Amino acid sequence: MTAGPAGTPAETPAGTADATMVADLTAAPEAAAADVPPEILAQSLGQYLRAWWLQVRSGNSGVLPVVLAMVVVAITFEIITPQHAFLRPSNLVYIFGLSTVYMVLAMAETAVLLLGEIDLSVGAVALFGGVITFKLVQQPGLGWPWWAAVLATLACCGLIGALQGTLAARLKIPSFVVSLGGFLLFSGILVVVLGGADGFVNVSSSVSNQAVIYYMVQGLIAPVAGWAALAVVVAAAGTALWLRAAARRRQGLVAPPASLTAIRIALVALVGVAVVLICTVNRGSGLVTVEGVPWVIPIVLVVLGAWTILLQRTRFGRYVYAIGGNPEAARRAGVSVAAIRTWAFALCSATAGLGGILLGSFFFGEYSTNTADPGQLVLYSVAAAVIGGVSLFGGRGKALHGVLGGLLIGGIAYGVSLLNLGTLATPLQYILPGGVLLAAVLVDVLSRRGSGSGSVSRV
Amino acid sequence: MSDIPMTADPGEPPAGTADASMEADLTATPEAAAADVPPELLAQSLGQYLRAWWLRVRSGNSGVLPVVLAIVVVAVSFQVLNPKFLSALNLVNLFEQSAVYMVLAMAEIFALLLGEIDLSVGLVMGFGSVVVAALVQPTGPDWPWWAAIIAALVACSAIGAIQGSLVARLRMPSFIVTLGGLLILEGVAIIVLGGSLVGIGNSRFTNEVVLYNIFWGQFTPAVGWILLAVLVGAAGTGLWLRDARKRRHGLETPPRSLTAMKIVLMTVVGIAVVAICNVNRAHFGTIEGVPYIIPIVLVVLGAWTVLLQRTRFGRYVYAIGGNPEAARRAGVSLPAVRTWGFVLAALTAGIAGVLFASWQVSLTTNIIKTANSYVLLAVAAAVIGGTSLFGGRGKTIHGVLGGLVIGGIYNGLYLLGVSSQWIDVVVAAVLLAAATIDVLSRRGAPR
Repeated sequence: MTAGPAGTPAETPAGTADATMVADLTAAPEAAAADVPPEILAQSLGQYLRAWWLQVRSGNSGVLPVVLAMVVVAITFEIITPQHAFLRPSNLVYIFGLSTVYMVLAMAETAVLLLGEIDLSVGAVALFGGVITFKLVQQPGLGWPWWAAVLATLACCGLIGALQGTLAARLKIPSFVVSLGGFLLFSGILVVVLGGADGFVNVSSSVSNQAVIYYMVQGLIAPVAGWAALAVVVAAAGTALWLRAAARRRQGLVAPPASLTAIRIALVALVGVAVVLICTVNRGSGLVTVEGVPWVIPIVLVVLGAWTILLQRTRFGRYVYAIGGNPEAARRAGVSVAAIRTWAFALCSATAGLGGILLGSFFFGEYSTNTADPGQLVLYSVAAAVIGGVSLFGGRGKALHGVLGGLLIGGIAYGVSLLNLGTLATPLQYILPGGVLLAAVLVDVLSRRGSGSGSVSRV
Repeated sequence: MSDIPMTADPGEPPAGTADASMEADLTATPEAAAADVPPELLAQSLGQYLRAWWLRVRSGNSGVLPVVLAIVVVAVSFQVLNPKFLSALNLVNLFEQSAVYMVLAMAEIFALLLGEIDLSVGLVMGFGSVVVAALVQPTGPDWPWWAAIIAALVACSAIGAIQGSLVARLRMPSFIVTLGGLLILEGVAIIVLGGSLVGIGNSRFTNEVVLYNIFWGQFTPAVGWILLAVLVGAAGTGLWLRDARKRRHGLETPPRSLTAMKIVLMTVVGIAVVAICNVNRAHFGTIEGVPYIIPIVLVVLGAWTVLLQRTRFGRYVYAIGGNPEAARRAGVSLPAVRTWGFVLAALTAGIAGVLFASWQVSLTTNIIKTANSYVLLAVAAAVIGGTSLFGGRGKTIHGVLGGLVIGGIYNGLYLLGVSSQWIDVVVAAVLLAAATIDVLSRRGAPR
């Protein structure tokens, strides 16, 4: 770890310690993966890329498969949809709105999947949370301010998660049974709160307090403000990334080469510019101008940022990965396994509640019993997380995987609806995600078998 | 075991040193008793048998006791709340409603015994019902009813084989495979429905009438009594002869008095059921007799009980559920037995599908969604009945008794005018309670 901090990153460092390190990199993937991950030892961009390729080949492919899948799906639908409409800016923005709930629920599910557990109640809890918020801000009614309603929803859903987590973590009831019960329970309570099978609740765009919720997904940031916000975000993220790498390099810690940091910043800027550019195209028809970045994009980014920091940079996150990788080892290392599990379920359900609010906002501020099927929501979000690259067996995955997987699922769902399939359209809504889920799990199982890590030797 | 005197009269406590140590075993702490040979195998008299049974209950292996208590509690509470609950009309309704839950729970038990779960049984049932109904349509394929039933059962078994292979050979988690499987099946079922309604309620077509009568038909009262006599006679003779033969060969056998008690209990339950069913339950005219559905459930129960308790396959299922690694080292082919477990679960769900089609009469996409939600009831029924979620513990009869509890709760709450969403809430609470009891009782049991 004491590799020369003074050496320029582009140079291959000299010395015996580094020589063995280079030898490590060219060794068989198994040997490399067993020791220190090669990308930590890599000093130059070339080494870094080679180390990354080794990692991909040994089964830790990260976001690569889901990004490839997104490209394939985008190109396929662009070719087969009538009038090649799939990649139109209006459709792309709509897909993001449609995918929001899947992205947020997939991030929620990721926290639990990382522990090697599953939460089948996220769909029902999300709808329940959405309905609570909508009920709380009703003007002839409770009339809470929108922020209080959102906070109350997050707290309420968090409590639900904590209860389920306690049953799973302390009583050791299998989590899929606990959350199956929770799914049924809240699917029922949801209908009760809505006021029966025909019940509904909506927020209006003309009441200022409710308008905040109404416009959460559909509301637009003016193009100029969008560009300004992008500049601020990219500048802030870029500076932070660069300074962190520089600080590590100065203190003699392992740091990625400066060129890699620069590439990362450029990539963030590029994606950001592309998104803002697509959103600033006028997608209105004729007389109405519709342009600008929808509010939901920064909201999803904030949730992503919060989950990423929580999982990657805090002690809680490290414990989550430790438990997911090997619960017994984590327990012996002094991690309070039950407490971490309970918290993960609580945070998962709270995030699901937020997803529910966004779902209601996406459907023009109306919630009825037909808004979404809680069972289908949970299947889509598990599928999104697994497709994104989160392992079902715990310990592998990031919040970003949930976002990418959610986008892919939303893209497929919308692409299918663009095709003129007639009577096949409805069945395909079930068959496609089911098939995609099975394919993703198959890849997960096989790649985990290939990587030779973890407790795959389950009989 | 060979040193236990077999000539001793079962009513008498046996003498001899070997038996004295056995006696001591029985009064020892439950842990010590259970760690060795199960005490009920050693018990020779009825008293010893009951004491051994009580030890077992206390050590967590309570068998059907909790679910029988639950049935009594459900019956008494709903009867107090609504005096119509235990009327002949409602009881027959309850049997009929519970039949589908029972068969579906028996399907789920195959997966649960292996320590797996099958979340697709509800939709396999829905798929099977759609296939049966679609195949007998006079305007469509117009198959005879028996061919349609066989085709549906084969199709369901094939689904089970695919899902089972993914679970058993590739070791994909069973709840994910069956979750994905049920989604795909839902789509396929909608395709089979052709986006419209498929019904079997047209009395002009024999095939539809036969399917309709599977659920809604009944024996005449006289035939019901004759069937009961034949059934009880056959089962009683079989039980008695088996015990007699075991005794003759010097194997451990329950005391004669216990065998007699079992036969008497069976007869009493049988007479009660037939008597209730033979009451005229129509408001106008006559509707009386044992519904066909009762013997159908009994046949499935009998077949799967024999398969699980008396065949090598059944022993392997329990062995894998108890300890897969030990079973593997003992030479059991885990992938084969697991795959067959899923095939049998799907086949049984297909049988439930035939009953379901007959029950619902006309099938729509909404009915398929209803069928899907039944998987939770099936898991709840199996677990309430006494089947463990962790594998290796449970019997087919647990599914039947658990199904009766679930059916009773549904029926009772419905009679009280409770809306369906609250019924879901109650069933969820019951499922969680059953799972908690399962976990706690397993913790109490010596492993």
